[in-house]
Amino acid sequence: MMPPFLESGFEAEFLYTLIVVVLCFLVYHKTKEIYELTKHQGIKYFRSAFLFLGLAYVSRFLIHLIILTDLSFRFIIPRRIMFFPVFTVPVTYFSTMAIFFLIYSTIWKRIQYKNFLILSNAVAIFISITAFFSRSLILISLLQLVLLLFTVIISTRNHKKNKKKYTRTLYFLILLLWLVNLFLLSPGRILPYGSKIFFQIVSIIVFVAVYFKVLKWIK
Amino acid sequence: MNKKRDRLEVIYDFLRIIQDNHNSIKPTPLLRKSNLSSQSFNDYFEELLGKGFVKEIYDKKKKKYITLSDKGFHYLEKYNTILGFIDDFDL
Repeated sequence: MMPPFLESGFEAEFLYTLIVVVLCFLVYHKTKEIYELTKHQGIKYFRSAFLFLGLAYVSRFLIHLIILTDLSFRFIIPRRIMFFPVFTVPVTYFSTMAIFFLIYSTIWKRIQYKNFLILSNAVAIFISITAFFSRSLILISLLQLVLLLFTVIISTRNHKKNKKKYTRTLYFLILLLWLVNLFLLSPGRILPYGSKIFFQIVSIIVFVAVYFKVLKWIK
Repeated sequence: MNKKRDRLEVIYDFLRIIQDNHNSIKPTPLLRKSNLSSQSFNDYFEELLGKGFVKEIYDKKKKKYITLSDKGFHYLEKYNTILGFIDDFDL
C-alpha cells in the first residue's frame, strides 16, 4: 500500500515546484553579470520578480506539505489550523511582490521607485494580513487577480506602440498560472489529477520559454 | 536630429573612444570626443572610475592618461548582448 504522501500527488508537486524554483533562480543567477556590469534598473526589477516568484513557489510548496501532513497524521489540533495562516503570509507577500516587480520592470521609467516601493509593500502587506486572518487562498487568488488585471491595464496603457507582445504574453501567463496554482491549492478545490498535471506542464513550458529567452542573450 | 543618448550608450561611447585610441587618452581629448558637457563628463568619468571600468595612469612627465580596465573591455564586449536583452524583455 502506498503511503498517503504519495497517494496525494506529493511526487508530482515536489517535482513541479523543484523545476519552477530552479528555473526562477537560474534566471536570477544568469542575469547577475549583466546587472552588475550596467546597474540597469529594468534588469534589477526583472531579477527581483524572479527571485520573489521562486520564493513564492517554495512557500506554496510548504503549504502543500502542511495540507498533506494534515491528511497523513491526525493530531489533536490539526496542523492546518496551527500553521496554515502562518505559511499563507510569505506565499501572499512574495507572490504579490513578484507581480509588482514583473510589471514595474517594464514601466520603471515612468514611475518613481520610491512611490512604487511604498505602494507595492502596502498592497502586499495588506493582502498578507488578509491572508493571515481569512486563511482563504481563494480570496487571495481573487485579490491578486484584481491586482493582475489592474497592472495589465497600466502596462497596456504605457505600451500602446510597443511591439513586445510575446514577452508581455509570457509575463501574463506566468502570473495567471500562478493564480491558477494558488486557487487549486485551496481546500476543496480538487481537480482531476490529469487537469492538475496539465496546468503544471503548461506552467513549466512557460518558465522554460522565459529561461531560453534569457539564454538566447546570456550564455 | 540626434536623439538623446541613454546612459548605457553614453558609457559605451566613452569606453569605445578610449579603446579606439590604443587604450590610452588624455582627459581633454576624451572630453571633446565624447560630446558631453564638462559637468556630465566629470559625472560619468567619476562613476566609471569608481566602478572600475577605467583607470588613471601617469607617464614619466606626470601627465594623466585614461585607460580601460578589464571590466571596461568586458562591458564593450557585452554591450550588444545587454542592449538585446533589455529590448527583448521590454525593460
